[in-house]
Amino acid sequence: MEARRQPARIHRFRPALITQTDDALPEYMNLIGMICSMCALMLKIKWCAWIALFAAIVGFANARATEDTKQVLSSLMLSISAVVITYMQNPTPMTIPFFQ
Amino acid sequence: MRSSMTILFILFNLLSYFTWSVAKKMKDEDFSEFDDFDEDEFVVESPSSPSASQLPSKMQSKKPEVVNTDYSFQSPSSKSADIKVNDEVTIDDEDEDDDLMFDEEEFETSDGYSSSSPTTSTIPDLKITEIPASLTGNHWEAYHCEAIMLLLLLSYLINFLLGRSKNARLADIVYRSQRDLLERNFCLVGDNGQTRTTQSADDSTINDSTTNKMQKESESLYILWCSGRTAIESMLMEVRLAKRQCLFNSLAAMIKSSNDMLIYTADYSKEDMETFVFCLAKKHCAAKLHRDMNDLSQFCSERKTADKRGLNNGNYQILSEIGEVSSAIIDNRVVDFIEKYPDVLEYIHISDQYTGMKIQNDTQQTSPNTANTTSNAGSAAPQQDALNTSERSVRHVLIIAFNLVARNSRSLEITTETVCSDYLRFVLQLIDRVNSFRFTLKESKNKAIKNRQRIEEQFLKNVYQQRQEQAQQRREEKRRAEKEKIMQSDDPERQRKWEEKEHKREMKRRQPKMKQMKVKAM
Repeated sequence: MEARRQPARIHRFRPALITQTDDALPEYMNLIGMICSMCALMLKIKWCAWIALFAAIVGFANARATEDTKQVLSSLMLSISAVVITYMQNPTPMTIPFFQ
Repeated sequence: MRSSMTILFILFNLLSYFTWSVAKKMKDEDFSEFDDFDEDEFVVESPSSPSASQLPSKMQSKKPEVVNTDYSFQSPSSKSADIKVNDEVTIDDEDEDDDLMFDEEEFETSDGYSSSSPTTSTIPDLKITEIPASLTGNHWEAYHCEAIMLLLLLSYLINFLLGRSKNARLADIVYRSQRDLLERNFCLVGDNGQTRTTQSADDSTINDSTTNKMQKESESLYILWCSGRTAIESMLMEVRLAKRQCLFNSLAAMIKSSNDMLIYTADYSKEDMETFVFCLAKKHCAAKLHRDMNDLSQFCSERKTADKRGLNNGNYQILSEIGEVSSAIIDNRVVDFIEKYPDVLEYIHISDQYTGMKIQNDTQQTSPNTANTTSNAGSAAPQQDALNTSERSVRHVLIIAFNLVARNSRSLEITTETVCSDYLRFVLQLIDRVNSFRFTLKESKNKAIKNRQRIEEQFLKNVYQQRQEQAQQRREEKRRAEKEKIMQSDDPERQRKWEEKEHKREMKRRQPKMKQMKVKAM
């Protein structure tokens, strides 16, 4: 078995060799997070802010290690600020329009 | 990064508490003018103020609105009338001087009115308005939606931490159960491609046996790079686990089950492998691979059910370019492995024309390639440079995928620990088998060469077409830029000349190309 080892045939790892899968969930979550944050901030819709927060957290949980952490963090911060600002503008409880 | 996340969430909780306290204070300030009421304020001097104002309705919940305008119609006999409203508010008409205004002789009221005086037991028809709960005090139960959201958030975070640790534990078990066998077979075990020097097993330090050399690509994907062995250039081991860290994925997994997988991808050099494309896969997987994989769809025309010994139950299907490959690859060892571990082997994909999945192949075909043996899967390159080369970027690979499933009513961790080394042994055997296999029949070789030539011609045609389109686009843009430049310059002479030139060019293009024949003078 030891005869199998050959130092001469060592090749370095290249990230491009990882099997590509069509998993675009982090990107979708990022996009949904940003759109919902903007809607919440501009249109003062509370449930949008909460959805943005969830989307940011799901995107963070599914993020790849190679992705830019700044992107993930900024999405998270934006959604948190959307929630906080929406409640400061209007402290009344949230009403979900579909159920009323 | 992850620890900073937990700090951020604690900060977020503090911030949200601060927001609630500020909001409560603001609300309290807004409604502070309605907080304290003296009963005396309800005393309405009805003769002097016939148009008594209405009481504020936001005072207390369930207090009816008292409309005082009716007061002016009451009969003078009700001088000391008490209007009791829910036994909480009494309006006394104590000012007797006001009677001067309501002199009996001056005003005549009908008897019907006196019967309906407030001294009788009739209670006026009061409309109780519903006041939102949030405006009537500090009632946290009004915020039930927010509570549900926070609970969901908390449960997601807890699930994230638990799922992440379970995945990390599983990956660690896989690594530890295979480490010895890997280090006996490969010179380089574990490389991130970024450090200057590689750590070979000969230079192993004391800590090597405890450090996990696997690379974490995401919370559900761990990889290990191995190189420095005969027969192959490198082997990449991918531990693709279910996304336990995401609650929504876990819930979706209850509907559509997803397994933890262990995928080995061995890269050969051109000389190490015969030229064929072959795949043995489970039924559902075979259909998907045949549809998605470029090489399988180009070289393998049909899917056949594997009917050899041990594969009789019809679980597996074969996609093969050359007939003799199936019997050579699916030998006794493969059959024995499948019998020993049923449902574990997901697929075996062997190809010397591997270019990845169909969707990505659009970028791969236009990516630069220095040599056929080097791989360039998935790298993005400017299309301009790509069209300078006319070679496809193909890899010579052996890909084996295993399902990590719990067996014999044991837990997944224990099963993984016991069987992983068997999987690796099977992979190494197959690597050597593929390396040593050569075509016995001449027609197999000819068929393989013919197929590859066909695909190469198709590829070159596509590249040529793309190049033509690009050149045409460039020409159009150049002409457009020229036209703009001419139009912007105010010289009409130049414009006229340019337009003439364009017209001539257009006419020349429209005319069919005539071949000129030279006639020799006799």
